[in-house]
Amino acid sequence: MKKVAVPEYRVGEKVKLHARAIGTAMVESVYPKTVTTQYPRERKKMPDNFRGYILFEVDKCISCFQCAFVCPANAVRAKEAPNGRYYPTIDYAKCIFCHFCIDSCSGGALKTTKIHDVAYKDMDEMLTLTEEMIEPPEIIREDKKSVEYLIDEKDLHLKRVREVDTLFVAVTPPVEIPMVSQCIDRANCIGCRVCEEVCESGAISSSAENGVLKMKIDTDKCTGCGLCVKECSMQILRLVRK
Amino acid sequence: MIDINSIISEMTTEGSQVIIPLIQQMLGLLPDIPMIKLMVSFILWKPIFAALICPGFSTLGILLLFFPWIERKLCARIQWRVGPREVVRWLGGIIQLLADTLKFIFQEVIIHKDAHKFYFLQFPLLTFIPALLPILFVNIASADAEYPLVAIQSPYAIQIMLALICLFPVFILGMGWASNSRYAFIGTVREAFMYFAYEVPFIIAVLAMIILFGTSGSVAITEWQSTWWRWGIICNPFAALAFFIGSAMATSRLPFEIPEADQEVAFGPFVEYSGIGFGLVYIVCYEKMYVLSALMTMLFLGGGNGPYIAPLGDLSGAVWFLLKTIIVMTTLAILRPIYPRYRLDQGLGMGWSAILFLALIALVLSIIMRSVGMVL
Repeated sequence: MKKVAVPEYRVGEKVKLHARAIGTAMVESVYPKTVTTQYPRERKKMPDNFRGYILFEVDKCISCFQCAFVCPANAVRAKEAPNGRYYPTIDYAKCIFCHFCIDSCSGGALKTTKIHDVAYKDMDEMLTLTEEMIEPPEIIREDKKSVEYLIDEKDLHLKRVREVDTLFVAVTPPVEIPMVSQCIDRANCIGCRVCEEVCESGAISSSAENGVLKMKIDTDKCTGCGLCVKECSMQILRLVRK
Repeated sequence: MIDINSIISEMTTEGSQVIIPLIQQMLGLLPDIPMIKLMVSFILWKPIFAALICPGFSTLGILLLFFPWIERKLCARIQWRVGPREVVRWLGGIIQLLADTLKFIFQEVIIHKDAHKFYFLQFPLLTFIPALLPILFVNIASADAEYPLVAIQSPYAIQIMLALICLFPVFILGMGWASNSRYAFIGTVREAFMYFAYEVPFIIAVLAMIILFGTSGSVAITEWQSTWWRWGIICNPFAALAFFIGSAMATSRLPFEIPEADQEVAFGPFVEYSGIGFGLVYIVCYEKMYVLSALMTMLFLGGGNGPYIAPLGDLSGAVWFLLKTIIVMTTLAILRPIYPRYRLDQGLGMGWSAILFLALIALVLSIIMRSVGMVL
């Protein structure tokens, strides 16, 4: 069996090691490689895909509930607004900042910021209502510099830049792939007309002929939002490329 | 009875006043009021100057105010931290210790139920006796100076300093005993062990130097080391190394921070102290460090010897002395970020084997040099 033992050094080696330790200390005391960020006075430069405070745009929301669905921490809940639609609210006491809600948002209504230092007075305040998510929280900027960490082959370095980093990310809208809703199994339609009710663009219409209900999807009007796909009780609707 | 006239006549004899050409002009401008002249010449009287200004009270106070900051900042830089910063930001937190002192003063002094109240309160104050008295024997004048700048001239200065320094652990043991707490007991026993470990090689190292110099008066030692190749550290480097490691052990610096060890026994003998009591025991360690560094400067680094700075006059030696002392103190402080703490048995083993061996080599070397007459 191999035993771990204290390495044996000769006197010369010991002196050499002591001298090296003291020499390193001397060099470091003159040129320290300190990598501390002086936080309130300077901020670390965050990448654009930083997962921070979440902002919300009402116009883009289609009330699809995907954010509330996907949230692993049950932090996102949809709440009814005065106009009858449902919009997300985020409880930051529960939020784990995985940003699944942003990834899953089909309309791009939720978006990230680089704000990571919001202070609350109590737990109740951490439940952020929809109205509060539209505007960013009040920010007091004390920082004059931005800090970047550069990693080269040898070591980690700190680079200070005399500029104030912007905390908001301009999200370029993704290239839209035109989609359209399509019924893949007409025989199984039970004619519940949920899809017609839920469709915002009025692309789905129904007509009764001889006591038989016929559903129709107008491919020109359909925006491909996918609400009907989600709501279809028989799950026979699919989104396909136009 | 104190005869004031005899004191005044002694004050005004030649060579008993500190002469600093830089401020001599200013002293001449003083109005011809007898009392002020008397007070100024009293302060500039060499024994009083040495006790009150340099290397005594004022220098010690300023050093104590800033040295902990220097140490913390230095350690922080070596360990890639920032160190104290927020008190006076544009100077890098230089008056951190002043802020700490204010905090200590206004904190409640808690004396717990089991403590021996009488000794618990008086030991932090009594510790200042062995820590302050050795400074009286330190000579800071250079060898070229006609008259020494020392508070008390004695042919046995080194022995007295050593005796007072060796008295120091007794007070720490007293503190630990009066605290009556298990951490304090553990720390106290560790202090006692370390005391035995470092004291013997430490004293032998000093003995080696006394044998080499053939004298133990602080003035004679400075005169002996008048040129740099006759400094103690060059004549007997083994003694210097043994003395240095001994001082690191005596001041509980980090490789031998065994009695205090705040991660294990939470400041050991001082664990029950709070408020100004803790402030005192915190500062008394730095004071001991200053005394030991001054002794090291005197014995090994040539005291106040150095190039003469004309405008400073008698203070020229003092400047060199303080510079060397601060270098020694910084070297002691720089050990803190470099080394981890030894175990108690490792510390004891080191003290009783390697360092004792080193000190004995130094002693033999001194005796050989003295008998062969390689020096002198």
